Amino acid sequence: MKGIYLAGGYPDTNTFRDCFHAVATSGFDFIEVGIPFNDPIADGPVIARAIHDSLGNGVTPDQVMNEIHSLRNSNIKKYVMTYANIIYSYGIKKFSDRLTGLLNGIIIPDLPNRMAHLFHENGLDIPIVPFATLETRESDLVMMNRSGSEIVYFIGVRGITGAQSNFESPELVHKIRMIKENTDKKVVIGFGIKTGEDARQALKIGDGFVVGTEAVRRQRDPEALRDYLRSLCQ
Amino acid sequence: MRSNNGFYGEYGGQFVPEILIPALDELERAYQEFRNNDESVTEFDRYLSEYAGRPTPVYCAKNISKKYGFHLYLKREDLLHTGAHKINNTIGQALLARFMKKSRVIAETGAGQHGVATATAAALFGLNCRIYMGSLDVERQMPNVKKMKLLGAEVVPVEEGLRTLKDAISASLKDWVTNVTDTHYLLGTVAGPHPFPEMVAYFHAVTGREAAAYFRGKGILPDCVVACVGGGSNAMGIFQGFLDQPDVALVGVEAGGRSLNPGDNAATLSRGTRGIFQGALSYLLQDDHCQVQDVHSVSAGLDYAGIGPQHSFLKDTGRVRYTHVNDGQALDAFHELTRLEGIIPALEPSHALAWTLNHSDELRGKHVLVNLSGRGDKDLGIIERHTREDR
Repeated sequence: MKGIYLAGGYPDTNTFRDCFHAVATSGFDFIEVGIPFNDPIADGPVIARAIHDSLGNGVTPDQVMNEIHSLRNSNIKKYVMTYANIIYSYGIKKFSDRLTGLLNGIIIPDLPNRMAHLFHENGLDIPIVPFATLETRESDLVMMNRSGSEIVYFIGVRGITGAQSNFESPELVHKIRMIKENTDKKVVIGFGIKTGEDARQALKIGDGFVVGTEAVRRQRDPEALRDYLRSLCQ
Repeated sequence: MRSNNGFYGEYGGQFVPEILIPALDELERAYQEFRNNDESVTEFDRYLSEYAGRPTPVYCAKNISKKYGFHLYLKREDLLHTGAHKINNTIGQALLARFMKKSRVIAETGAGQHGVATATAAALFGLNCRIYMGSLDVERQMPNVKKMKLLGAEVVPVEEGLRTLKDAISASLKDWVTNVTDTHYLLGTVAGPHPFPEMVAYFHAVTGREAAAYFRGKGILPDCVVACVGGGSNAMGIFQGFLDQPDVALVGVEAGGRSLNPGDNAATLSRGTRGIFQGALSYLLQDDHCQVQDVHSVSAGLDYAGIGPQHSFLKDTGRVRYTHVNDGQALDAFHELTRLEGIIPALEPSHALAWTLNHSDELRGKHVLVNLSGRGDKDLGIIERHTREDR
C-alpha cells in the first residue's frame, strides 16, 4: 500500500494533473488529494505553504472536488485529506454526495476517531480513515474496527507533517504490532517518510506508507516528482 | 457551566489530531479530580487571594452613572495581579500542570495578557514556559512582550497567516502535538477542545461568584450584566454568577471593528455561521468556501474568528444577547471612563462599556454591571496612535 499526498489544485490545475498522473503511473496504490483549509493545524511549513498559495490563487474546495471528478477514470485508489470544517461547513451530506463512489476514504486530521460518528450520523457515506499514533492505547482499537476503511493511518511521530520518523524505535514497532494484532486494518504509516530507505523500513514494519511533504515539495515540477517517486520505489 | 460529555447542545467536542486525545483525557481526569478535591480547591483559592489579589471590588461609578442616568457598577478585574482576569485561569492550569507532572507549559496570546499571566504562573511554579504570539501582536503589544521575557518565558513570534491570535493558537497546537509527553497547553480562553471550555470557565467562575455576592449584600440584583467577548473567558466568568437568575439580562459585546463587512470585524456571534475551528464546533467567521475569515479589531484581545462553544449555545438558547460595538465607540468609551472615573481600562472591556453608554436610554434608572476585565496600560501605544490620527 504505497501512497502519495498531493495538495489539490497546486500549483495550478494543469501541473496538478501532471503530478496526479505521475503518481498514478509510478506503481503507487493510492493517492491522497488535499482540499485546502486555511488553518491547517496538522501540517508543517511545506504543506501549509502550498495550501496558502493555492488559496491565494483562488482554489476552492469545489474546484478540487471537480478535479477529483475529472480524474475518476484513473485506476489508482483515491482518498481525500481535508480538515473537519471543510466537510462540515460545505454540508456533510452534500460533500458526501459529491464524492460518493469516487473515494476509498477520507482522512480528516482534526477529526479524532471518537468524533467520526458525528459525521457519519449526519450523512457522510464515505469511510473515514481511522488514526493510530504513538499515544494510541489498546482501548482505542475498538473504535478503529468500527470504521469501514481498509486502512488505518499510523502517525509515526509526535509532530506535524514534515517531521522525521524513527522506524527503529521499539515504541513504534510495538505500537504497529499492537494495531495489527487487534484490528483487521492495513497499517499505513504517514508523517516522516522522506527517502527510499524510509519507505523500505516502513514496509518492513507496516503494510504501507504515505509520503506528503517531500512530494508536495516537488509538485511544481512533475518531472522532478516522477524522479523522486522512482527513488521511493527502488 | 458543565458540559454534556464535552458538548453544549451541538457545540463543543474535541476536533483535534488523534495524538492529542490521550492528553485531553488525562487533562479531563486531572481537572475532575482537582475540582472534587478540597485541598486543591483550597490551594487554588489561597493563591487567588494571597497572590492574585482576589476578591476584586465592585465599584459603583458615580460620575458616569450621574451623566448617563443609570447605576453603573464595575467589576474591577483590572486590579488583579498582571492587570486582567487571565491570572485566575493560569494559576488554576499551572496547578493542574504540576499535578500532571508536566514540566513545561505553552500558551498562545493575543493582547499579551494571557501570555503575561501564563509566564507569571510559570515563574511562580517553576515551569518552563514558551509563549506563541502573532508577530503583528508582538509589534502592537510590546510592553507585554518585555514582561513575558523578564518573567523567564520564551516568546515566539508567529509569522503565519494574519500573524494574530488564530495563528498563535495554531502554532501552540502544533507544539503540543510535538511535545505532548512533557508539555501542558495552557489555553487562555473558553475555546478549544473539551475539557478546555468547561475548565477555563470553572477557573473564572470566581468573578461571577464575587459579583453575585456583592449584589446579594446590597439586597438587589443587577438588571443587566455586560461583558466583552473575544474568545469569551471573562464573559463566561461573570455570566456564570447570574445565568440562573432569569431577571438578570446578560449582554456579550463583540468587536464590530471598522465595519460589519467581512474581514473588518470580529463579531463572530453576530456575523458568523457554525463551523469547526481550533478544536471545537462553534460559531465561526468564515467565507463562502469554508475558509476562516480574516478579522480585525482595534483591540488585540478580541480579534478572533472563533468563539467558545458555551457562548454559541447561550446565543441559540437566547439566554445571552450578543451584540457588537465598533473601534471608534470603544475608543470613546475608553476616554470617557479614564476622564470621568480615573480608571484606564483595556480596550477589550471598553467595548462592553461602550455598549452600555450607547444604550443609556434603554438602561435608564437600571443597575448595570460591567466586567472591567483588564487595565489599559498595554494599549497606550494604540490609543496614542488613534488620538494622533483623529487630529
